Amino acid sequence: MKKTISLAMAAALAVSGAATTVPVFADDVTNITIWSPTDRESIEAWWKEKISEWNEEHPEIQVSREAIDRSDSYAYDNKIATAVTSNDLPDIFYVDGPQVSYYAANGITVPLDDYFTDEDKADFVKSSMTQNTYDGKLYAVGATESSVAFYYNKDYLKECGVDTDDLDSRTLENPLTTDEVAEIAEKCTTDDYVGTHIIMDHGEGLPYALEPLYLSAGKDYISEDGKEADGYVNSEEAVNTTAWLADLIAKGYANVEPITDEFLNGACATMIGGSWEIATLEQNADFDWGVTYYPVNAETKKAVSPCGDWAAAISKDCENADAAGEFLAWLMNTDNVASYAAAIAKPATRSSAYETEAMAEYKEGARALIVDQLENTAVPRPRTPSYATFSAAYAEAMTNIFSDAASNEEADTDYIQSEFDTVVDTFTEDYETYYAE
Amino acid sequence: MAKAEKKKLSGRKRDERVAAYIFVAPAVILLIAFLVVPMIYTVYFSGFKYQIMRPDAMKFIGLENYQKLFSDKNFWLALKNTVYFTVIVVPCQCVLALALALLVSKKFRGVAVFRTMYFAPQLTSMVVISVLWSVLYNANPNTGLINSILVSLGMSPIKFLSDASTAMNSIIFMSAWQGAGYQMMIFLAGLQGIPRDQYEAASVDGATKFKQFLYITIPGLKGTIKYVIMITMIQAMKLFTQPYIMTQGGPKNSTKTLVYYIYTQGFQKGNFGYACSIAAVFFVIVVCMSMAMKKVTAATD
Repeated sequence: MKKTISLAMAAALAVSGAATTVPVFADDVTNITIWSPTDRESIEAWWKEKISEWNEEHPEIQVSREAIDRSDSYAYDNKIATAVTSNDLPDIFYVDGPQVSYYAANGITVPLDDYFTDEDKADFVKSSMTQNTYDGKLYAVGATESSVAFYYNKDYLKECGVDTDDLDSRTLENPLTTDEVAEIAEKCTTDDYVGTHIIMDHGEGLPYALEPLYLSAGKDYISEDGKEADGYVNSEEAVNTTAWLADLIAKGYANVEPITDEFLNGACATMIGGSWEIATLEQNADFDWGVTYYPVNAETKKAVSPCGDWAAAISKDCENADAAGEFLAWLMNTDNVASYAAAIAKPATRSSAYETEAMAEYKEGARALIVDQLENTAVPRPRTPSYATFSAAYAEAMTNIFSDAASNEEADTDYIQSEFDTVVDTFTEDYETYYAE
Repeated sequence: MAKAEKKKLSGRKRDERVAAYIFVAPAVILLIAFLVVPMIYTVYFSGFKYQIMRPDAMKFIGLENYQKLFSDKNFWLALKNTVYFTVIVVPCQCVLALALALLVSKKFRGVAVFRTMYFAPQLTSMVVISVLWSVLYNANPNTGLINSILVSLGMSPIKFLSDASTAMNSIIFMSAWQGAGYQMMIFLAGLQGIPRDQYEAASVDGATKFKQFLYITIPGLKGTIKYVIMITMIQAMKLFTQPYIMTQGGPKNSTKTLVYYIYTQGFQKGNFGYACSIAAVFFVIVVCMSMAMKKVTAATD
């Protein structure tokens, strides 16, 4: 089997024209395979470059990567799940932040503490370390972080009479409130524009992008110990927060079925969007735009922002974890983290990376705002082994709530409550069936 | 002499038998590997509490999954949606297919173009078609083609896929459109099997076109109709791709079908044992429906 894999790899290398003569016999070589989601061209190129760089220097540890499609849903997670049942997991695979606990609790991934020094660990931002730690052990390491902020089309907002200088001047001390967001959305909704945009990907995007609204209102989705959803996601605070969102849909200030890149295409005036949008907008937007901090609850005014990104983990099926660990430690060194972050246009996880040339852009403007959020207000998603179940149930509930609001043209708090009670039941059943002691 | 001949004959017979087995073997091996073994596994796993990530922590719980299944309102809802889809889509699709087949069975200039056009949706992957129709059906008149037409005609836009009352019907419509081409081809083959002289004799006797259709075409297609209804029904029961791509089972579970439910339980929520028990029950339902169907059509002979 090993030989066949080596042969196949050799053949693949020869075909791609990247083959270098490696004077080592197949049996002495450790082959490491990596799975990660298919990404934009710059990242695919980054992977190619880094892997050939490593393979040239380490003839005894040969690395190859397979790009797996994610398609804005749970397709990648399904691939991992099937690989677990058939014992076909690769040596290293990428995991989305909140899934780290799920895989760790089920013994699918192994601890990485031996491969990273304390000095290394201290260099990573806290939000990333917290998300990737389960039960006191480090289970995944990621090169980038993510955040969500409030984007606005300056040209259009000015037309609608919104004071964009005021928006530009907002800081973490006086961010926009949900009331102000609704007000702007109302002002800017016309036949050609909707006032704002809510991420509607029917997958992890919903719980990820919206969590700060709940935290700002005072209640997270799940208790801090990851065991309880009752009294959290179905709390009064959560229902009111969701009613506020559903109201935006009901009044037609946001689309229940937004088109792709709605903001970029000039079809919505503002959006609650990911940090990755900055690069897209810089390259493609034909209008003047701005970005400010994630909106806060109008009453509590507590600033919170999302975080968490994909991170690499070593699977239980990896035969040579030390070799995989050695590779990971190299892959996540300061220079590689910096060049990866620059290529993917996301903030880096290592503080030292910001001192490199590649990250120079993060010192000011929109990117600095994202780093500011990450350092000061970022809260990782709940760390619970039942996260996968929670995420799917929450996304389903939100989709139902939004379509209910769109059909009835009003937000129905009783319906929201009943949907969230269902989420609680689903979560509790899963947690109690598989994880409760 | 006679004895030797007999021996030789039986030798040939044996060879024939061996050859027959060899010819059948690939199909049987594939059937066993991809149908029988998974089926046995499905029934086996349905007796376990089995989290997909923890194959090592499987626990035998007997019929508990089945007990849970019968009191699971989502299962009944998914069954109801699946049956609704089947009951509506099968007649619509078959009638549409027969009508198309009758249209293109005539010989006229460019008939091949029409045949190809009607069959074309079949050649495209269901995933692509679902994505395409999601855009056609989009609720926003600036994006959705159908709604932009409705609005330009002075009507108000319809939330095809984001309203629980229209989502399933929207899926039924596009499914019938996509599937009819295939059944049309089968009907076309059936139509060509009906002897021409029957129609000639009928028209000499003064039978109208409609009467010819009723008394010659329909009886002539009896076997084909039965076959088409049966495969369409089985296909319809397995509805998955459209709700998976277009609606994710929503809104408000209105497009959650049995196969989609099996998928969410097994893969999204990781309840693999429970998903297997739904799959086993689903199998029994489909077999029963097919058998009932066969009984009904046999009675009409």
